[in-house]
Amino acid sequence: MKYYLTLIVLFIFPTVGYAQSSGSSSIVLSQALSSTQTVLPASNADEIPVKSPDKSVDAIDDEYKDDQNLDYANDTFKEEKVEIADPLEPFNRAMHQFNDKLYFWALKPVAQGYKVVVPEPARIGVKNFFSNLGFPARFLSCLLQADLSGAATEAGRFTINTIWGIGGLLDPSSGKELDLQKQDTDLGQTLGVYGVGHGLYIVWPVFGPSSPRDSIILVGNYFLYPPWYIQPWYASLGVSVYELVNNTSLRIGDYEALKNAAIDPYVAFRDAYIQYRMKQVKARKVKLISSAPPAEQSPPINPALPEKVN
Amino acid sequence: MKKRIVVFCILIIFVLSIPVYAGVPMTMAEASVNRVLDVLRDSKLKSPAAKEAKKEKLRVIYKDMFDEIEFSKRTLTRNWNKFSPAERVEFVKLFEQVLEKSYIDKILDYSNEKVNFYKESMLSDNQAEIQTKIVTASKEIPIYYRMILKDGKWKVYDVVVENVSLVQNYRTQFNDILAKDTPTQLLEILRKKVKAQ
Repeated sequence: MKYYLTLIVLFIFPTVGYAQSSGSSSIVLSQALSSTQTVLPASNADEIPVKSPDKSVDAIDDEYKDDQNLDYANDTFKEEKVEIADPLEPFNRAMHQFNDKLYFWALKPVAQGYKVVVPEPARIGVKNFFSNLGFPARFLSCLLQADLSGAATEAGRFTINTIWGIGGLLDPSSGKELDLQKQDTDLGQTLGVYGVGHGLYIVWPVFGPSSPRDSIILVGNYFLYPPWYIQPWYASLGVSVYELVNNTSLRIGDYEALKNAAIDPYVAFRDAYIQYRMKQVKARKVKLISSAPPAEQSPPINPALPEKVN
Repeated sequence: MKKRIVVFCILIIFVLSIPVYAGVPMTMAEASVNRVLDVLRDSKLKSPAAKEAKKEKLRVIYKDMFDEIEFSKRTLTRNWNKFSPAERVEFVKLFEQVLEKSYIDKILDYSNEKVNFYKESMLSDNQAEIQTKIVTASKEIPIYYRMILKDGKWKVYDVVVENVSLVQNYRTQFNDILAKDTPTQLLEILRKKVKAQ
């Protein structure tokens, strides 16, 4: 009897796992793709050579000439206003400069040297280790958002990665078999989920872009991030600096690319930060709606769902 | 007899229309990205001397893949109307150069990361979002392409990297500049930027 039960349970696990991971859309898409590939070349060959030589030149000229109603308000991608009050701009610009110099004069050279000495897998291990220690803050955030499945995932990840991942150096739980992904959340997002806005833009020295709302992350980390409990204080500071150097070594070049592409780097980083945080909060809200018990997802709500997901 | 012809016609319409509707933007984006990857992986172009040839090849693909006018219009929004046609032409050209010069090194740095195309969402008849992921050893970078259908061709008009839309990012910057400066001054800033790079 027991034997049959385990067999059935074993059978259920893989089927459930597959249903979640592969999803239905990818199958539909791949079918659609294979069929369109055959259709496409034919239509291209027929239309484009005939049309383009005389028509496309005109079309481009017209596009430059027209005055248009370029509001994009009715656009399918509702391009929300992602602006933020910036009354502290002079202070913020000064801090932006300070952080910029800190990066180019201190952090980057150190990280580059460190990168030469320590191979990448080791650095990724260190990153995983510190990320694993961020568990209390993420766990609490999930609980505060009433996201029980997220909290359970985090708890599972912490246990598995600490025990089987050699104290968090490896990340076995995000592998394909277990598929427990890190919950990308923090206390600032938690406030955001409950409708708290940014207020205004602040650039902190060292910590970078933030707002009064998101500064709760810094406060929260002071209590919830284990490295801050190390005594004496300079040892704890040393560990934090090491973490910063290690993480920087894994993404040297990103900051430079962003900065070089910007016309006004200060405004570009402000906008990127606000966009990034807004979408994170939105993603959390979507997750909370979709992970709510099925009884709540009665038909009247459903038509609204696809829009929100997109 | 008539009924049969009608049914037959409807069937033909279905057969022809469904596949074209479902996957074209995704195929277009994937094909373009694969062409880029082919150039980057090309062993003949590995030497540092071939960098220019590589850039030239990438430029051709870029022209085919992006709708730079749509891109410029969307970043300027209503300010587009403040530019004279000649200024618009120059703006589009300068903006393209700024983008090329800032991102080309990042692209040439490519070292066999995987690019996964995993989702297409049609947002209207002529707009679609293609979701992709670049998978590296230490992280996954989500990159979304927003495409628009113009003259029978799907072209990219916005790229969203890690949830940050390029169009929106530049729009904020240009709005900020044009709130106090004229279009001529903005063009001057862009010219300086291109020279400095």
